[in-house]
Amino acid sequence: MLEPQHWVERYGDYLFNFAMVRVNDREKAEDLVQETFLAGLKGKDRFMGKSSERTWLTSILKRKVIDIYRKQYSSKESSLDAYERDVSDGDFYRSEDPFRGHWLDGKGPNSYSLLPEGEMEQKELARFIQLCVEGLPTQLAAAFIMKMIDEEDSDKICKELGITPSNLWVMLHRARLRMRDCLEKKWLK
Amino acid sequence: MVFMSKRMIACDEASFLISYRSDHRLGLLRWWQLNFHLFTCHLCRKYAHQIGELNHSMEVYKEECSHESCAHHLSPAAGNRIGEAFKQELNAK
Repeated sequence: MLEPQHWVERYGDYLFNFAMVRVNDREKAEDLVQETFLAGLKGKDRFMGKSSERTWLTSILKRKVIDIYRKQYSSKESSLDAYERDVSDGDFYRSEDPFRGHWLDGKGPNSYSLLPEGEMEQKELARFIQLCVEGLPTQLAAAFIMKMIDEEDSDKICKELGITPSNLWVMLHRARLRMRDCLEKKWLK
Repeated sequence: MVFMSKRMIACDEASFLISYRSDHRLGLLRWWQLNFHLFTCHLCRKYAHQIGELNHSMEVYKEECSHESCAHHLSPAAGNRIGEAFKQELNAK
């Protein structure tokens, strides 16, 4: 049974954090949380009780976030054959001979390991991961979050964002490049 | 494809394949190209290890952040504003 009178205090923080990771904008995230609660209230008769209140509200918020992603993707070029054209990412690799395609100085990995030791540091790692995800360019963040955090099927991601599978794999590659770089810098600082 | 016509790949293509194989099985040619490159390039060996750790770390993230807020909290002002707007709507029903 739904208890809307307790939603804000029970789920406000959680939904806000959920939205912040995905849109990286406080005002937008606050608006999304408010819209989610209002949509939940309007649609409470459709709640079947198959999931928890929080899961149900989160699914409403997820749909709103995907609408934002779709608007951003539809306004940018998305039809390029990314795999063939953009395998090389200029921020990380040399673009000129004789070592074209090799790591730029300071851009490759410095250490062998990213993972922390000890349980205490897992929370810290999670916090750093969240901060690095929020630092991703929006288009890369959308693909990365939907695949790696929301664990959506690749076909569904492509359909929701209006991109090709090639676009998706390049975006995930670029997101991982940046995530690794960010985590190594933050974590080992 | 330009990529397929080369026998030896550089770090940019190797790192793409390292990412790609997180979600797919590589075909034989690409598997050979990647593993030959990894044999010769210590930076890409480190990169491959770190990407494996990154993929694993996302599981840690999901575990740590699935039950509570990881980093961000609604400000009291925002919480009050949302609460008031929601209360008005609730009372109207």
